[in-house]
Amino acid sequence: MKTESSIPDSLRPPEERAITGELVDAEISVTSDGSVAALSTDVIETIDRTKRSSQSSVLFYIGLPAIFLTVTLLGGMRLGIENVFVFLKPSLFCLIAATILLILFFRAGLIVLDGWFSEDFPAAKNAANGSILLTLFAAATQLFNSLLPERGLPFWIVGFCFFWTLWNNLFADFDTKRLLRSLGALFGLAFIVKYILLAYISEPTGKSWIISVLENPVQEATVALLDLPRFSAGTGYLQFFAVGLFLLGLFLLPARTNSGRA
Amino acid sequence: MKEKHIQIIGIAFTAIYALFVVFLYAAEPKSLEDISLKARSTMESAATKGQIITGTYEVDAAKFAEGLRAFNADNFVAARDAFERADPEKRDAKTQFYIAYTFYRQGWGRLSNDDELFKQGIAAVDRVTPLDRDFRSDDPGLKMHTPAELRYELEEGTRITADDFNPLRLIRERK
Repeated sequence: MKTESSIPDSLRPPEERAITGELVDAEISVTSDGSVAALSTDVIETIDRTKRSSQSSVLFYIGLPAIFLTVTLLGGMRLGIENVFVFLKPSLFCLIAATILLILFFRAGLIVLDGWFSEDFPAAKNAANGSILLTLFAAATQLFNSLLPERGLPFWIVGFCFFWTLWNNLFADFDTKRLLRSLGALFGLAFIVKYILLAYISEPTGKSWIISVLENPVQEATVALLDLPRFSAGTGYLQFFAVGLFLLGLFLLPARTNSGRA
Repeated sequence: MKEKHIQIIGIAFTAIYALFVVFLYAAEPKSLEDISLKARSTMESAATKGQIITGTYEVDAAKFAEGLRAFNADNFVAARDAFERADPEKRDAKTQFYIAYTFYRQGWGRLSNDDELFKQGIAAVDRVTPLDRDFRSDDPGLKMHTPAELRYELEEGTRITADDFNPLRLIRERK
């Protein structure tokens, strides 16, 4: 004999069927002939808004961490001369620069702290927001790792320029747009210096060391003096993608996560 | 889907992706094929560490027996490799004693000993006592049964003394 719970939902009377889907708080309008009228436009808008909200939540809680973690992954990755992967861990300077950058984000209103963390929010939301900010910090650290020359004199010169700019920005009045423009210019310039100028100087010739010295003594001397590592040309493309992704992530980052995301 | 569910999925996704990134930077694979190899060795290492934490760590008996066979056949390089694979975490006194013994027997020479191997033997035998203070080998094929005896022999082998020029050394036997 079949038990009550084993009866399929489709065989049950309508009033006993399990409700699935989303509940919409709306009044049912009945027409003069007694049939139920179509859903009002208000109800349809409510359903659409719920769908849009769900989509933006997916983008925010899954898409943004994916973007920032991809930047974290690519930021320290280089391709060696024979296209072998080289993973460079960030230096202490990168952590300091990333911390200053995050403080700048807060100061310029790119991230409003009250809009990200509140005791009124559910714990899951606070935790999810915290994880996004952690991924942002990791991505910022790796971005500096990507844009700073690896070692030697260029590291100290470019590092000093970064520090000088960020330190000055820390005490300047910024709005979000100006900050993003300033960061775009800073990162763009650093990218050009490292992956076009310095990469051109240290470009592998594919010839033996002695032949390279005989053919291009100035270039080889510069590489040796500046202690420039040689990487495959693919590294520049990889890092271009990483910088672009980081700026896209910043563009998508809302100032606050409560009502009315900016 | 409820926002709360999306948030929980987001946290889980972030944690998994972050672990993957940390793994890549820790393992430093050289190519895409290398990633799976490094992942396997990392998983094995994590499993062994888990066994240590839960107190279920055991020496791989098959590999130990393989090492013992190679040791008795005087194939010390293969023996050491098998012993090291049998006890990857270096937590078994008996296996570590055998590893030290392989260094002794491989490095022993009638005229002179291999100092480099003997030094590695001392490092290996030094791991035995902290693991088992009262360790004593029950292998009748060995002539030295305690870490102290083995350590003394290895240290003596690395020192240059007047005894080294004794012609009777030529008729001494390996222990």
